[in-house]
Amino acid sequence: MMKKISKKDMNRFIKSLLEDYTVYAPVNTDGIFSFKPIDNFQGIDPDYQNSKKPPKEIFFPQSETMFEYEKGKVTSAEKVSRKRILLGIRPCDAKANLLLDNVFAGEDYQDVYYINKRENTTIIGLGCRKPLSTCFCTSFGGGPFSKDGLDILLIDIGDKYIVDVVTDKGREILTNKFTEASEEELKLAEKIKREAEERIKSEVKIEGVKEKLDTMFESSFWDKLSERCLGCAVCTYLCPTCHCFDIDDEAKDSQGRRVRNWDSCMFPLFTLQASGHNPRPTGKERMRQRVMHKFNYFIENYKRAACAGCGRCILNCPVNIDIRKVLKEILTG
Amino acid sequence: MPEVERKIREEAKNLLVNKKVDFVIGFEEGTLPLRVSPVFIYKGDDTEKLIWNSFCENNLAVYLPEIGDKKVAVVAKGCDTRSIVALIVEGQIKREQIVVIGIPYQGMIDRRRIEKEVEGEILEVKEKNDEILIKGDVFEKVFKKEDYLYSSCKTCKHRNPVISDILIGEEIEERTQVDEYAEVNEYEKKSVDERWDYFNKEVNKCIRCYACRQACPMCYCEECFVDNSYPRWIGKGLDSSDLAVWHIIRAYHQAGRCVDCGSCERACPMEINLRFLTKKINKEVKNYFNFETGLDSATSPPLATFNVEDRQDFIDSGE
Amino acid sequence: MRNPYLPIPVKVKKTFIESEDRMIKTLDLLFLNKEDKENFEFMPGQFCEISVWGKGEAPFGIASSPLEKDSLKFTVNRAGIVTTALHYLKENDELGLRGPLGNSYPIELFKGKSVVIVGGGFAFTTLRALTKYLLAWRKDFKGITIIYGARTPGMLLYKEELKEWERREDLKVYITVDKGDKNWQGLVGFVPTVVEKKAPSPEDAYAVICGPPIMIKFTLPKLLALGFSPERIYTSLEMRMKCGIGKCGRCNIGRFYVCKDGPVFNYAQLEKLPGEY
Repeated sequence: MMKKISKKDMNRFIKSLLEDYTVYAPVNTDGIFSFKPIDNFQGIDPDYQNSKKPPKEIFFPQSETMFEYEKGKVTSAEKVSRKRILLGIRPCDAKANLLLDNVFAGEDYQDVYYINKRENTTIIGLGCRKPLSTCFCTSFGGGPFSKDGLDILLIDIGDKYIVDVVTDKGREILTNKFTEASEEELKLAEKIKREAEERIKSEVKIEGVKEKLDTMFESSFWDKLSERCLGCAVCTYLCPTCHCFDIDDEAKDSQGRRVRNWDSCMFPLFTLQASGHNPRPTGKERMRQRVMHKFNYFIENYKRAACAGCGRCILNCPVNIDIRKVLKEILTG
Repeated sequence: MPEVERKIREEAKNLLVNKKVDFVIGFEEGTLPLRVSPVFIYKGDDTEKLIWNSFCENNLAVYLPEIGDKKVAVVAKGCDTRSIVALIVEGQIKREQIVVIGIPYQGMIDRRRIEKEVEGEILEVKEKNDEILIKGDVFEKVFKKEDYLYSSCKTCKHRNPVISDILIGEEIEERTQVDEYAEVNEYEKKSVDERWDYFNKEVNKCIRCYACRQACPMCYCEECFVDNSYPRWIGKGLDSSDLAVWHIIRAYHQAGRCVDCGSCERACPMEINLRFLTKKINKEVKNYFNFETGLDSATSPPLATFNVEDRQDFIDSGE
Repeated sequence: MRNPYLPIPVKVKKTFIESEDRMIKTLDLLFLNKEDKENFEFMPGQFCEISVWGKGEAPFGIASSPLEKDSLKFTVNRAGIVTTALHYLKENDELGLRGPLGNSYPIELFKGKSVVIVGGGFAFTTLRALTKYLLAWRKDFKGITIIYGARTPGMLLYKEELKEWERREDLKVYITVDKGDKNWQGLVGFVPTVVEKKAPSPEDAYAVICGPPIMIKFTLPKLLALGFSPERIYTSLEMRMKCGIGKCGRCNIGRFYVCKDGPVFNYAQLEKLPGEY
């Protein structure tokens, strides 16, 4: 269903939601955007491209208390206190959430913390009018106006938004300020979509990568690739599909809490065993794990690569390791 | 620049072809404008990849503690060579293993400042003499390099390599009149509360990615204190006090060792002001011990040595 | 939706120091809630994540068989924060437990066949569970052979049980040590050598091998040389684990998570996986 709403009315609409929902929107702090709960809304900042940290943190926070305990008495912290709205997420990140669902909301064990947040969040995405040169969402089945993983997709056509209502969950929150979009307005939206899709120049061939990687475990390719890697966690923490975490107890005597924190396969301690043995002792094995996990193991388990083409790893790697180049070299090398 | 690049390639090729080194660490073209990427070159022919420009911002000395027993050539600007000296003094590398290709240079461009000055994505960069031309979709702007130097480069007094086996280009006149601690002095004027608020605001942006630690040549500990569990010094999450302690201790561990290259700050994805504490500590080390890191390989860093004549007046005798 | 991260309450029934260096201790645990005890069904090979309140959580193979209904047995090697805290526990101290986790030894496949159990050091824990189970259903299996080695006689686990098993007629037990002492009457020699010498028959047989990587490295070729095929040699892999349910990402070998798809694998499966363990 295609509706429209003026930006002014959109602001009022979001403000009205604040009464019953916690609304996460992109907030600009010193030039860096992050999804934070807002208490007012004056529109999405025109400078907004994408958040630095991926919105996966709305469902899978970087640091989350799982439960508190006093000796054997355990109090779980799994339920959210209020329903939530996630406003302004980009289609690449919304698609990435679907990839994370495979891991956390899978058949075998249910991660109650993640699922609880997912179920209680209505997701309003904002289509990308101006994809960056580092965006390659289309290579992974996405696009600047893809609706996968969204309840509502907003298309900015100037003074108003075209509102593509994707799911019932999205439909439920609409008010009568959302009216039918005209033929003209829809045509304009289509034009904007087409132009945005044409802007995406980065084309990453993913077909055949998994099969090539099947043969590459012992390759010296990983030595070369990992040479310049510093071994930090920027790529993994800023990636909307990375999901590794650590479980830690923060306690005094027998009272405390169990916390889950993001962790990274790029850190040496990640796989270090109590005996001192480490199956991934150097950067080479760790870099190999990262690439294999995303473009081979994940595909074997869930039929999809663990990448949404958002480009954050490319933009933020301190030594400019470019995953597009890596994938190309895997195929052609 | 083309001349410097040509010479770097020539020297690197010589070293490799004549088997003087096992590999050369330098920079190659990045995949994004304003970016370059560190590269390890093993064959003479591949030296064509080596470049040099005002975006060569990584401190390549960071790779040296890992070279084992290899012989390595490394492209280094002033601050990088001071890191190399510091690593030699701390026993992390042997002088004989390193061939320093030193490059006197005016400094690196602060690409984040440039990005903030334009509307939209930067698609092309061209350096010419003392200007850089930036092109985007709908804009074209010219910047004077001098106005957009990285903050530590702006006040740097050691732009010439302090050691080098091969010097590429002419030595530059070192600045004498600049106050490198001007920023620190400004902060010192603020009240304790103001400084604490500023510091807290900055470190609460931290995402514990450790890019700062990994980018720093002096952070070579096999197990960083944040990873110790016996004893557990700080938690691994985003607790405000943990973030504060992480950054305070990191700065303290840099005392007498930091060359103020700024790699930490440039690596940080959250753009935290990481030199805030380290610059202050550098100033204190200069004042108390008249020591600047990496200027000569004969002097031990002040926090690693003890002299009977050392000042003691700051120790409270408790009376 | 049950929260798989919440531990259930258990307490210590008794503790027993297994090794002469006092670094290996066995704990018998009891469920505090009857319901938890009734719902806890497991098979040999599975493990649990044990929480020490205030310290943390760590994975341990279940050393008792499901037929030993009294308590759950775990043998702990003292290595870090959690294991040290476990060593200091006394009777009635309370703990948390999550499990049973992982997969188990394929006992269904072993039915009607012979089983050769090879263990080294303190990796014998789940092998004890397996042995007890096989012995309880002895008629279902043909020959049972146990080859177990430790550094010294004092480092052997479950010494009393080993003596009991040695006395039985219906299984072959070969206990060996790297270095004997003045009282030691048994075999002296490394496990791979004993496997070669005693040459258990591969005919209609499965092998289960658990031990430190170095022992496995040298014993595996001996078993293969004797004629055991890779899909008939099972092992239990060690990995650093946290969540135990295949979500935190760290225990993977290729596409499999050792905590969820393992820890029991056979060598035909492992041959197809990356050599990262």
